[in-house]
Amino acid sequence: MRIRATFLALAVLTVSLARAARAQSPAEQLALGIRAYGDLEYDTAAALFRAALALPGPPPLTDAERARALVHLGATELFRERRDAAAAAFQALLVLEPRYRPDQLVFPPEVSGLFEEVRLGTRAVAATVPPITRIDAAGDQVIVWLYATSYHQIEVAVLHANGVRFRSVYAGGVGDSLQVLWDGRTDTGALVEAGSYYLDVDSRGIDGRVVRSLVVPLTVERVHLDALPLPPPPDALMVPERVAAGGTGVRALATGLAGAVAVLALPAVMAGGSGGMVERLAVVGAFGMGGLATFLSQRHTQPIPENIAVNREVRLAWQRQADAVIAANAAKRQEVHLLVRAGTPRTGQGP
Amino acid sequence: MSARVVALVLAGALVASPLAAQVARFAGADGRIYRVRFRSAVQGGGEARSGFAAGAQARFVRGRVTLEASYAQGRLTAATGSAAPLSLVDGSLAFAFRPKPWLVLKTGPHLRGYVAPSATERWVFWEARARGESAIVPYVLEAHLEGWVALASGVNVDPGAGGAHGGEAGLTLRLPQLPFSVRLAYAVDRAKLANDARSETVEAVFLGITYSRR
Repeated sequence: MRIRATFLALAVLTVSLARAARAQSPAEQLALGIRAYGDLEYDTAAALFRAALALPGPPPLTDAERARALVHLGATELFRERRDAAAAAFQALLVLEPRYRPDQLVFPPEVSGLFEEVRLGTRAVAATVPPITRIDAAGDQVIVWLYATSYHQIEVAVLHANGVRFRSVYAGGVGDSLQVLWDGRTDTGALVEAGSYYLDVDSRGIDGRVVRSLVVPLTVERVHLDALPLPPPPDALMVPERVAAGGTGVRALATGLAGAVAVLALPAVMAGGSGGMVERLAVVGAFGMGGLATFLSQRHTQPIPENIAVNREVRLAWQRQADAVIAANAAKRQEVHLLVRAGTPRTGQGP
Repeated sequence: MSARVVALVLAGALVASPLAAQVARFAGADGRIYRVRFRSAVQGGGEARSGFAAGAQARFVRGRVTLEASYAQGRLTAATGSAAPLSLVDGSLAFAFRPKPWLVLKTGPHLRGYVAPSATERWVFWEARARGESAIVPYVLEAHLEGWVALASGVNVDPGAGGAHGGEAGLTLRLPQLPFSVRLAYAVDRAKLANDARSETVEAVFLGITYSRR
């Protein structure tokens, strides 16, 4: 009779494991495990939960799925009367998610009771850090939220990539949650250089030894603000500063001669020849001299004082604007801004 | 009202106007000295006179539009013989428009009077003028040529006016860094009585100093 019962149990386990084997992904393993848990097939459920937790994927379990697997594994092991294994599952769950609590509607009080007992004895924290923090002004800081399984002493510091600590952020107790801040500076107050760093959170036991460490990778970039462009050169606003040679002189000569001829011809044209005062020769001479003198003097380009003055003002205005931009850019170069990128936190056991 | 009085009133009103206008973009006034030669020709004879005159012109510019008023007065003495001298009074008002930078079109009344002890001969013209300007030395020396014709004319002498036209050519020298310019020009015009009963030619060479203010 006993042999038959053992054989029957093995057959059921074999069938269940065969079904489980057909499930390829950890999520499917988890779903089968929960179904087996509901069917009170705890041995099968435990095997499926462990398989789901052990399988790397694809796709890997999410943190929420992993927590679900661990709480069910803990409950399953408890019902299998393997209390230590159940406690280990709950502890792993608390390390993963310190704020996790079993659903009272799903799990019976003995499960919640053991979970609570384990929680009070587990010293671990989880951290939430914004993926990107920009430190532009004096008050800007990286905001880190820490969530603890239970009250215990922690020490928070920022380390170089080689593990050397250069900034102590916090040391003291943590209950449910705690906000710690890092301003991107070392203990001496200097802004850190660009590079890779770690935010390290050490959880300490009753004896003061580090029992667990949480590490958040930080990548720091130094950012310089974009330089302002110089104003466009004022070429389009400039006026010619010199009169071109040749053409202007010839035109002046032609104009002068035309004027002289006009003065000579005006009495004949306008008064039918009944005129022609001698004094008008002064005007004729002025026209001729003006045109000729200009022609002779304009063989080379001549400066235009008014235009030169206008251009000088335009250039000065442009230079003032350019100087202001250059000064602003120089000030920007002096300013250092940090861009802090946070990676995924990792938890490790203490030494 | 004599032509002299009318010319004085017109010139006075126009001189006062630009001085009072605070919105003027440009205002200018100049004083002039004229050397004047006058010829009156009739069938088979005529007379010639010459003399000096002094005058002024005021100018009020807003954009492309200019309002000008001028007044001149002088004395003409006979070149030959012992005829009594004449007083010459000349005043004009012109509304000018500058369609191109080098071209100015003007129109307006022009009054001229020859005042003798025995009688006064008054001419009234409504003129249309065209003036071309060209720089000999940019911003420094500028030439102008102006022609005009009387669109309507009148005179208080029988048989009445028969038309008039004239022209002017001159130079304007702008003094650098100063609001002054010097103008030297020659002007000639001819007015005729109806039926060519008589023609009167006035020539003038004038030298003026202009003050301009923006």
